[in-house]
Amino acid sequence: MKIVIVDYGMGNIKSIESALKYLGVEEIVVSHEFEEISSGDKLILPGVGSFFKAMQNIKKLDLDVMLNKLVVEEKKPILGICLGMQLMCRNSEENGFHEGLGFISGEVKKFQEGLLKVPHVGFNQVSTCSGSKLYDSLDNLSDFYFTHSYRLKSDEDINQSTCTYIDEFIVSYEFENIAGVQFHPELSQTKGLKLLDNFIKNF
Amino acid sequence: MLRQRLIFTLIYKDGFFYQSRNFRLQRVGNLKWLERNYKFKEIAFSLDEIVVLNTSATQESLKEFASTLSSLVDGVFIPIAAGGYIRKMEDAKLLFENGMDKIVINTILHSNKELVKELVEYYGSQSVLASIDYRLVDGVATVYVENSKSNTFKTLESYVKEVEKLGVGEIYLNSIDQDGTGFGYDLESVRIIAKEVSIPLIIAGGAGNEKHFEEGLSLIGINAVATANLFNFIGDGLPNARKAILNKGFNIASWS
Repeated sequence: MKIVIVDYGMGNIKSIESALKYLGVEEIVVSHEFEEISSGDKLILPGVGSFFKAMQNIKKLDLDVMLNKLVVEEKKPILGICLGMQLMCRNSEENGFHEGLGFISGEVKKFQEGLLKVPHVGFNQVSTCSGSKLYDSLDNLSDFYFTHSYRLKSDEDINQSTCTYIDEFIVSYEFENIAGVQFHPELSQTKGLKLLDNFIKNF
Repeated sequence: MLRQRLIFTLIYKDGFFYQSRNFRLQRVGNLKWLERNYKFKEIAFSLDEIVVLNTSATQESLKEFASTLSSLVDGVFIPIAAGGYIRKMEDAKLLFENGMDKIVINTILHSNKELVKELVEYYGSQSVLASIDYRLVDGVATVYVENSKSNTFKTLESYVKEVEKLGVGEIYLNSIDQDGTGFGYDLESVRIIAKEVSIPLIIAGGAGNEKHFEEGLSLIGINAVATANLFNFIGDGLPNARKAILNKGFNIASWS
């Protein structure tokens, strides 16, 4: 099993590498080169930071074109984590209005202000969806670690799980070969490791 | 429901971890020692987060600190925040590159607000933790910087508001008076500040047993309680404290 962590210069890649190593993944590569990425059995799109800056970096490295070919056309399995999950959606209103990769129909919006503290930081319970491959053998309302100020909304059914903080928002989606999680599985103790393992085995 | 958090803070200086008491340091051991005697990576499975503070106030110390952090990350699957003597963008970059999820800043909140704004813009609010040290001066909570050595002559209440405006993601509030005493948190000051803060608030300084954690978690507006007390939470101390707190029905995460 070879997993490529797509590197566009944002986010903590080391924690993800360390979790994959712990799960026994034979080959873990961090890269933004087409040859490396296309040779991976599975991909992870990480990310922490601003949506706009991330899309700028992705375009500069031609990763938008590469990912479109590998993920949309060739159906290579991919897991987006945190900002990576948001980037695969249509657009975000973080610092203006910016288009994302557009693989998933969903829009990233700011938490409503003045009700509860933002950012949403810490472990929170996730309402899983039935038939999910990501949450296989994980209990409904399991705790995962979040840290974010913007969250995903969608009018369509994207096979989502949800979490409630200020309002109910989308925590994960699973669409054919494409999956994304708003929380950080690599920072969510044993349950997070299990979810990563599910991605490796079930996608 | 969003859980409250239990955080352990490691105090670091030139290759070793320390127990702090009112900011006076007592050397405990290096990373290997910590792993051997405290089984630190195992203990991390009963924590929500780790904070590591470098107290060596030199630019050269940062590289060495970063390489220690890099070995600490392996096999620990919770967020780690680190800081101490961050004075420019590259210092923060070095810590992120070595596997940190967040950076901790303190003195620059007072001395270099432009840098704080730059860090927030580049890494996002959620990656920047503002550490604030204070002590009571004639009964008034007053903020100190530079490892508690330098008085800002600002009240904690006004300072917290200033800091929030810089866009930081969380506040880590440490009472210098209570630091390392094991006598419990400065609940009186915390109670007042918690009402003012609209971002996540972590309290530190004084926790010596699980009762103190419970006192902190019971206050309205407290998101996390932290301790740096290696001596009081040796061995099974932390796992047992977490279990006891969970059994009493406190709102913290359970991974079992």
